[in-house]
Amino acid sequence: MLQEPLKRKTHLSIALALVFFFVIYPLLVDAEASYLVFLFYTAFMYVTLSQGWNIAAGYAGQVSLGQHAFFGIGCYVTAITWRAGTAGYLDPLAMLMSGAGAAVVAIVVGLPLLAKLRGDYFALGTLGLGEILRVAALNGGSFTEGAAGISIPSDVYQSIKPYYFIALLISVLTMLSLWFIAHSRIGLALVAIREDETAASANGIPILRYKILAFTLGAFVTGLCGSLNAYFVFHIDTTGAFNLNWVIMPILMVILGGVGTFVGPVLGVFSLIAAFELIRLLTPQLHPIFSGAFIILVTLFLPDGIMSYLTGHKNRLLHKLSPFKWLALNK
Amino acid sequence: MMKKTTKIVFLLTCLFFLSSLFFTMQQARAKDKKEILIGTHMPLSGLGAFTGEEQKWAYEQAVADINKAGGIYVKEYGKKLPVRLYEIDDESNPTKAAAAVERLIKRVKVDLILSGQVGAMGVLPGMITAEKYHKYYHGAVIWVPQFLQQHFKYCTMYFMDPGQGAAMVFEVWNSLPEKDHPKRPALFLEDTFDGKTIGNVMESLAPKFGYKFVLRLTMPMGAKDFTSQILKAKGAKVDGIFCMSNVPEAVTLVRQMKENRFSVKAFQGFKGTWPSNFYKSLGKDADYILCDGFWSIDYPYKGAKELGERFYKDFGRYSTNVGMYYAVAQILWQAIEKAGTLDDLKVRQAVLDNKFETVNGPADYDERGIALFPLGDNQWLNGKRRNIYPFDLAKYKIMVIPPWDKR
Repeated sequence: MLQEPLKRKTHLSIALALVFFFVIYPLLVDAEASYLVFLFYTAFMYVTLSQGWNIAAGYAGQVSLGQHAFFGIGCYVTAITWRAGTAGYLDPLAMLMSGAGAAVVAIVVGLPLLAKLRGDYFALGTLGLGEILRVAALNGGSFTEGAAGISIPSDVYQSIKPYYFIALLISVLTMLSLWFIAHSRIGLALVAIREDETAASANGIPILRYKILAFTLGAFVTGLCGSLNAYFVFHIDTTGAFNLNWVIMPILMVILGGVGTFVGPVLGVFSLIAAFELIRLLTPQLHPIFSGAFIILVTLFLPDGIMSYLTGHKNRLLHKLSPFKWLALNK
Repeated sequence: MMKKTTKIVFLLTCLFFLSSLFFTMQQARAKDKKEILIGTHMPLSGLGAFTGEEQKWAYEQAVADINKAGGIYVKEYGKKLPVRLYEIDDESNPTKAAAAVERLIKRVKVDLILSGQVGAMGVLPGMITAEKYHKYYHGAVIWVPQFLQQHFKYCTMYFMDPGQGAAMVFEVWNSLPEKDHPKRPALFLEDTFDGKTIGNVMESLAPKFGYKFVLRLTMPMGAKDFTSQILKAKGAKVDGIFCMSNVPEAVTLVRQMKENRFSVKAFQGFKGTWPSNFYKSLGKDADYILCDGFWSIDYPYKGAKELGERFYKDFGRYSTNVGMYYAVAQILWQAIEKAGTLDDLKVRQAVLDNKFETVNGPADYDERGIALFPLGDNQWLNGKRRNIYPFDLAKYKIMVIPPWDKR
């Protein structure tokens, strides 16, 4: 027990050192020519997306397969407001509106889904949301520019640095929010819901309210990432904005790092990105095969994630999250 | 626990350090100019993979051929430099296409970039990324309006115009005997930007050529049943079809037309009817169907026949595409030599200022960086695509489709 404050101090020091490193790194190198700066930018985005999924699925046990819908909303809100002249380049207000847009949709959709559906059915329901929004955007006429998508002039682009620092800021804020939630009554309530909904309800926890809260927070940060992506790619269409990769990759990263853990998703993001990059370097033509094999090996040998290896005890959460039961079948 | 945490953090740091080492090695290699490093991203998996394979083959042939000739003379270096091609699979995903171009520019440190493909799915995000870093992107396979929206200064495009494609369809139909002109044609269009764009152009140009579409029907991508569309068309006495779709949808449509005994005089397909697996799936039922093409082995241009035969030798089938991709690379090789440098803007300017000879005919870019070439049209017969357009280059003439009960 006496070691606990010491551990916390060490963890905090490591976290601060890492953030400090990430802040100064682009200032020390030629950021425009550095591929590592771009990789870090991508990693920060995925840290946010992973934690956005982790808060609902990992902490509250509500596995969403619809994060790409929230990402797409973020992209489109930013693109549409920019095109309309109500938002500018890297406009914080537009980014907040994008997050808020995703959060509102999460509440509207989450209310019936979270009240009525559980487990696999909830996951499938959220998967449907992405498809509905994709088709809606495809047929959105001049509002969404249909299949052509919305093009924003890219000549405003000056440097990757603002994107890098915004992505870093969003990921740090997401991590901090998650930390405070996890160590508050809300966090306890979410874990109680995840472990046993009936028992949680019997103990007076308003389960729907907490589920909605977790789902909405996840959607909000995912919408923020969508907004930043819109500013980075300058062309938003349904194929890119509502791409399933925006949900599959974060899930893989969280599983690799450790579902329902605080640091696990971050480790998952950096490990997966580093591994994929190395595989691309060593086998540029065959990387999908080796990347796929890597994922299979990880799920076979580290089904509970890197964090279970670190902490020395197996996290049994995967057994409880029904869509992932198969991962642990042969254990 | 702390020991293990430290172990993992150390491991991750090592991974990144190793990656950085590789990047540094790549950079060091780039400084020692012994070759011209050309980067490209292609859809080798995903929706666009059916064309990515041919693009990859064509680029590799163009590189092999120029290297066989000793490389490209670059005045700035006072010698001929061989070309090396660095390929990345963008998985037909716009986000991955943009990331691929980031990788080509920042990690691989390519000198110039050869086009990816399929408009907004690959070329447009690739171009936008290249523009950000002031890297010349020698583009193809993108519609003119999409290209013009971004006011690119470091990109060019080589493709066809939707208006050209639409005009070709009507000219081909008009080359049929008068009695066999489709009197009540219909549009069958996939629900994509390409489908909508070409559909709008077809409708607006139709009156100029004496046509009016009686129906405009949507074919959702991935759909497995077009019976309702076919029955509507049958009810409206449709006798000619223009179809823009991917291969599976085009195959399903033709199969269900046969099942419903729905015959037309002319069936023009775009995109979904030219790949070889369209014919493989349908066999003789694909006979007489028209397919677009960006090139033909029958073209009289230098190297066209030899390229087509080489492709046949490697794949056992003919291509209506490889010549276009080969031409894109040919233009870039000539432009580098004319520019005498690998400087991005100077190479682009050389592309704009000169005329080029290719296996796809002469290419001449305008001041906006656009070069258009005439689309080709072919008709399937006995497993072969017979080139019927452009009329002055074509060896064959269009034939009317016999009704299903007379085939």
